[in-house]
Amino acid sequence: MPLALAPVPDAPRGGSRSEVLDHVDALYNLARYLTRNPADAEDLVQETYARALKAWHQFTAGTELRAWLMRILRNAWLDRHRREGRRPERSGSLDAADPEPQAGGEDTWLRGDFELEQMRRLVAGEIEEALMALSEDQRTAILLDVEGFSEAEAALVLGCAPGTVKSRLSRARAALREKLADYRREEDR
Amino acid sequence: MSCAEARPLLLDLRRRRLAPEVEEAVRAHLAGCAGCRRAEEAEGVLDDLLTQRLPRHAAPDGLRRRVAALAAEEPRRERRRFSFTSLVAPALAAGLAVATGALLVERRSGREASALSALTEEAVSDHLRVLASQHPLEVESGGSHQVKPWFEGRLDFAPAVPLPEVPDLRLEGGAVGYFLDRKAAVVEYGLRRHAVTLLVFRTEGLAWPARASADAPAPDSASSARGFNVVLWRANGLGYALVSDVNPQELATLAARFVAVARP
Repeated sequence: MPLALAPVPDAPRGGSRSEVLDHVDALYNLARYLTRNPADAEDLVQETYARALKAWHQFTAGTELRAWLMRILRNAWLDRHRREGRRPERSGSLDAADPEPQAGGEDTWLRGDFELEQMRRLVAGEIEEALMALSEDQRTAILLDVEGFSEAEAALVLGCAPGTVKSRLSRARAALREKLADYRREEDR
Repeated sequence: MSCAEARPLLLDLRRRRLAPEVEEAVRAHLAGCAGCRRAEEAEGVLDDLLTQRLPRHAAPDGLRRRVAALAAEEPRRERRRFSFTSLVAPALAAGLAVATGALLVERRSGREASALSALTEEAVSDHLRVLASQHPLEVESGGSHQVKPWFEGRLDFAPAVPLPEVPDLRLEGGAVGYFLDRKAAVVEYGLRRHAVTLLVFRTEGLAWPARASADAPAPDSASSARGFNVVLWRANGLGYALVSDVNPQELATLAARFVAVARP
């Protein structure tokens, strides 16, 4: 489902401007995984704050501040892609109606204790590389979940229904398990 | 509950998002199904990898300082606009100046230095971001006649894209970026083997140093930060920052040539 691209969503009611600084690490972390580059990530976060603070006076019904900022960041990133004439990489199956993936990697994880123990030995670089190999929407769904976003908050960021977040996250995790299983298979050779 | 019904609920079980009766049904199924227990354990292993091993990138200190400055900026402007004190302040300042003129001059020079330093730091940060970016240019060009129109509709002002006849100076292209809290035209040049960035932006609400207010930059007007030199000037209501690692005198001379060709 394409993301509705309102330039800046409604600002949260009653928040203090200084509170936005509490989320700079989370924003930068997501920006790093979106842009794949520290300089572009810094630029994106600065643009996010400029957009957010400009819209700060538009108080409407209470919205979770962190999710509001993340949505602005993602919209800014998608805008940049459009300006550059590029399309963010999207996964093929996002809708709840799509069948569950039948991934060989999933089977590896569930084969036995030995296989699961091998997965526990994966190192940071492998996990990061596998995550970066996912499409942008899958990567974002996983990172928001890791940040502890509820389905409703993630839905605000991704511009979709909470039910869609559930199926998107499920598919993203399945795809990530499959990528990670590939590392184990390569090591076994 | 069947395996097909239980599997999609295993992550919700870990996140404690299930209604009590559904959670009870899933747990009852897990108690009697080794396959689903392993799947639930696999969800836990993936959670551990993501929360404990996946690198979490912390914001660099420079970025933290810049966004803190952005967040602090707006209320100051609002106070200036609305508060009674701000209306009285000029009169008070005028009175005090009679008695403590020297002190005020010193403070003004302090503010001046602070404004110059803030603009210089931001210009250098923007230049570094262009250098480090994987996609620094949104329009690549062989001439200013291509780059200048490209900004139309992307900015709410029309930046000059000067290209003076200077040996070994070439126009590489442009992009839209941010200078502090506002959009900026980012024009990229090459001078011999040096990268030169011209930033053009609106100056409303910015503390602007007096030494950078002249129509044309003076030969000694370059400021520097982190090994880069910056020349600032204002023209036609817009602010300009020229940034590079070429020496300060050459950069100021180059800036003067930019001003000369951009003048209507």
